[in-house]
Amino acid sequence: MKYAFYLGCLIPARELSYEVSVRKVLPELGIELVDMKGANCCAPFSIQSVDYASWMALAARNLCLAEEMELNIMTLCNDCYESLLMMNTLLKRNPGLRDKVNEILSEIGKEYKGKTDVKNLVDVLYEDVGVSKLKSAIKEPIQGLKVGTQPGCHLTKPKRIHYEVLRSFNELDALVQATGVESVPYERKEMCCGGPLRDINDDLARQVSRQKLMALKDAEVQAVVTVCPFCFLQLDLGQLEVKRHFNEEYNLPVIHFIELLRLSMGMKLDDWEVKAHRVPITGILKERL
Amino acid sequence: MAEVANTPRGRGILLCIQCGRCSSGCPVARLTSEHNPRRLMEMIILGFKREVLPTQLPWYCLSCFTCLDRCPQGGDVGEVTFAIRNLAVREGNMPAGVAAQAKSLYETTRVINPVRSAMDKRESLGLGKITTDGLEDVQKILKRTRMDKIIQSK
Repeated sequence: MKYAFYLGCLIPARELSYEVSVRKVLPELGIELVDMKGANCCAPFSIQSVDYASWMALAARNLCLAEEMELNIMTLCNDCYESLLMMNTLLKRNPGLRDKVNEILSEIGKEYKGKTDVKNLVDVLYEDVGVSKLKSAIKEPIQGLKVGTQPGCHLTKPKRIHYEVLRSFNELDALVQATGVESVPYERKEMCCGGPLRDINDDLARQVSRQKLMALKDAEVQAVVTVCPFCFLQLDLGQLEVKRHFNEEYNLPVIHFIELLRLSMGMKLDDWEVKAHRVPITGILKERL
Repeated sequence: MAEVANTPRGRGILLCIQCGRCSSGCPVARLTSEHNPRRLMEMIILGFKREVLPTQLPWYCLSCFTCLDRCPQGGDVGEVTFAIRNLAVREGNMPAGVAAQAKSLYETTRVINPVRSAMDKRESLGLGKITTDGLEDVQKILKRTRMDKIIQSK
């Protein structure tokens, strides 16, 4: 399978280990990624808060680029995923909206035709690779580690957009468990990490993260596994902020799902990648790093 | 209310029956009494525009979309919040974090950019350069939608 690879803003700027891991792991699983040259920001919630028409046109421009490549899109970040998936769904369903967006796009010589689909890394791993093929690629399963999986809001919500793609968290948990770890249930699993309020209302963002961390601690997990780079940032760096403000110690290492997969496939993390985690992961993955 | 209902994301407000399921599931409403999605809908329905648009009220929502799945009417409270924000922004009510991201988008095509050390790291790892190849298109789009004026007004 071949995808137009939509990297987004946050990952290539601040979470390089995520990008490196994807580029290493996916080709091993038979997924070819083609970079989208000239792609713009997906138009995340911050931009959608400012102007609807701009969201529509900016998201549609990215969709047009994938159409020109004659490929479906694979995103990593939940925010990119929701923005592109939602707009693609709206435009496919609503010819009136499509006319409006094409009027704006005519300014840059593009036309949205509705010929591409938007997938997320999790969809690609679950549907195209599949759990059984994934398991056979896992040479060094990580055993004896109890984790809480943080799916992030926009992998599954709202359901009317996602029902055809990812039905529940079970698919994600099946992938996480394939690496050998045990993904345990915890309260408020579907709850937001608090990230979307970062830089808008930092105090509230911290309070939401704290609720999440408390629930994870209650379930006695040893680590948190994230898919979305914003969840990662909010629970890893954010955990230190929670610690400072509430004087509470959680010591919950946060790891990108793709890093876990990479380790379980027998590929090491470099020293700089290990150090990119603000809450150290060396304790839980000592002999694997 | 008509002003909100007449926007693509604001239509859902016409379906609101004030049942409060949105508020009961809202992770922010659980933490602060300042935010109450049902009450926000009520204020818009009753026409309390001045009490909403210039205030902090549109900016508590996480957009986690829990309320979208809970609303028995398909009223899309979290979606309506975007329509309210679009109107608030036009009255100059835009948080600094949002304004900064919008400015960055207009100048670089992306809302977050790597710092110098990250760019060097990318180069040493042989990862592709972060380019602004789509900049001309992005600026044309934002001029066309007049979002450039909003960005410049901040």
